[in-house]
Amino acid sequence: MDEIDIESAINDVDIDNDEEVQLSLPEIIQLMEENWLNEKFSPEVLPNRMDIVELLLDQITTLENNLKKLSNADFKKGLYQMEVDRIRFLISSYLRKRLEKIETYSTVILEQEKSRVQQGSETYLSQNELEFAQEYDQSIREHFESIMRFCPGITETQLINPNLHTMVFLKSKEDIEGIVIDDGNDENDLIDLNKGSQVLISYKSVNNFVKSGNVHLI
Amino acid sequence: MLSTTSYQPNYFSIDDILATQERTPCKFLQNAPRMGKLNPSTDEKDLKAGTELELPLWLVLDASAGRQMIVAPELPKIYREAYREILKADATAVDLHKFNLYFYELGSYVKYFDRREDVHNILLHTFITRFRFIMDLANNADSDPTVQNRLDMLERRLFKSGHIARTKLNTWLLDSGAPLKAANMVTNHRKRKRVDDDLFA
Amino acid sequence: MFAEKACNLIKELSRCEEVLPPYHTELVKEVCTEIKQLHEQNKEDGAIVANESSIAGYANALYPTLRIGSSAVKRNVRCLLAYHYNRLKTLRTMRWEFGSILPQDIKTNLSSDEIEWFTKYSRSFAKYMTSIGENGLNLCLDLRPPKSLYIEVKCLMDYGKFELSDGTILLLKKDSRHYLPRSECEELITQGVFQHIV
Repeated sequence: MDEIDIESAINDVDIDNDEEVQLSLPEIIQLMEENWLNEKFSPEVLPNRMDIVELLLDQITTLENNLKKLSNADFKKGLYQMEVDRIRFLISSYLRKRLEKIETYSTVILEQEKSRVQQGSETYLSQNELEFAQEYDQSIREHFESIMRFCPGITETQLINPNLHTMVFLKSKEDIEGIVIDDGNDENDLIDLNKGSQVLISYKSVNNFVKSGNVHLI
Repeated sequence: MLSTTSYQPNYFSIDDILATQERTPCKFLQNAPRMGKLNPSTDEKDLKAGTELELPLWLVLDASAGRQMIVAPELPKIYREAYREILKADATAVDLHKFNLYFYELGSYVKYFDRREDVHNILLHTFITRFRFIMDLANNADSDPTVQNRLDMLERRLFKSGHIARTKLNTWLLDSGAPLKAANMVTNHRKRKRVDDDLFA
Repeated sequence: MFAEKACNLIKELSRCEEVLPPYHTELVKEVCTEIKQLHEQNKEDGAIVANESSIAGYANALYPTLRIGSSAVKRNVRCLLAYHYNRLKTLRTMRWEFGSILPQDIKTNLSSDEIEWFTKYSRSFAKYMTSIGENGLNLCLDLRPPKSLYIEVKCLMDYGKFELSDGTILLLKKDSRHYLPRSECEELITQGVFQHIV
């Protein structure tokens, strides 16, 4: 597919590069795929990449508008349509996965987001996800309150936390030294990862590297 | 629903609630006034210290927690020496379902009742030994479906997801694509409706 | 035994996977009654323990009874909330699979609180979907990666008129077969109107 100029769109997007970047559509799609897999396999919700999602959605709209101009008999139309469908699947699957986690861990996630705001660090949820999470969390709480109304004075709820010890497969994108292996005991065994190496490891040992993009889950 | 995360019992987990409903032997260390009804073999109003009973695990866990223990918990018999020997001899030959439906989950609670690590070790041994056997089962679609009945709930879940993965791989290898399907709930709803319609036709 | 009824609520759910059994109003009420009675008794016992104890609460004769009583309340509440929570989880999946309108016979199995929750959830979810990108994105579609553009489907019921995105109108009759763009029929397949023929 053609190299596309997304300079204007990329201005407020941070892709770990201080110079102005031009990413081709295939490169953006690859970035989306990586983040989709990370989200799919990590037990906790990751920092959102709505920047990529929005870029791609714009691309889809443009592509679809162009497709309308092509005649139905043009075989290229089919190929482009397929590509559009594939991108749309990628995006919706990514957002669905996030929503699933947001619902399951809503209370915990909202607390974490609050403290991120207080510390002035970047929030993980997008504004829209945050609103959804708040509405969802409140609707569950109200439902429970309504059930327990018969007996005031009892407050019993426990939070659902993601299991950060979940084992994940990962591929390293860089050489990383001294990852502390979390294996439930106090001994701190270390391992080094070479670029391109693949390992099975507890998510907790590597969550920071997943978030920073040094490794990705497979 | 969250198939990619490891299993971890949470407050709302149905399996965890059912596992903690299993009965566990324990001995009362103190008198418990008005609690005679916990003991079905007597009409006395109070429960005397020294009484030995089988109570649901959730109660035994709560009553034995902290510095002031109300009851002293004991190992359910399936985790005791005699049964451990059976598992050590050949874990794959055992009908774990008959031992307990929640063999591993119950085990990971009661293993703390035994100060040595015997229960911990036998849980690990049993799981590791049977894991390969379950993988084989899941990979062979034609294997006898009744063998499933000998698995505990955790193993069944493993078997099921292994089996689904295998079928998916086969479809992908053969047809390079699975057909689009109606949502599970919609299908079930249909089926049920058909039965209802038949009944009331 | 304490909390036996509460556990029966959970057993009811565990027996039906992916199908929502009728809301068991009676049993829920009975569980609530048990909780209330236990809670009142615990309050009484607690007051006695607090008043009588000269040294420390746990030296009191009623202390074991109180511990067991409060454990029983805790257990009951856990089962009661888990029953409702897991029902909501199923309802949530129904929103994704059936859409915003539930079949009548499913609706009759819900409590009025549950119907209210479903409406709320449905609204939040729809609002979220419209907020994605410029034109919104229907997350109930594109459930699987696309393999082919056109697929053959069989219609399983007399559905009536169906308009394609290019304006063509099809009359969908039971057992009629169609060759359509995948993206156009995915929703009807999910809802069980079409069957995908391979």
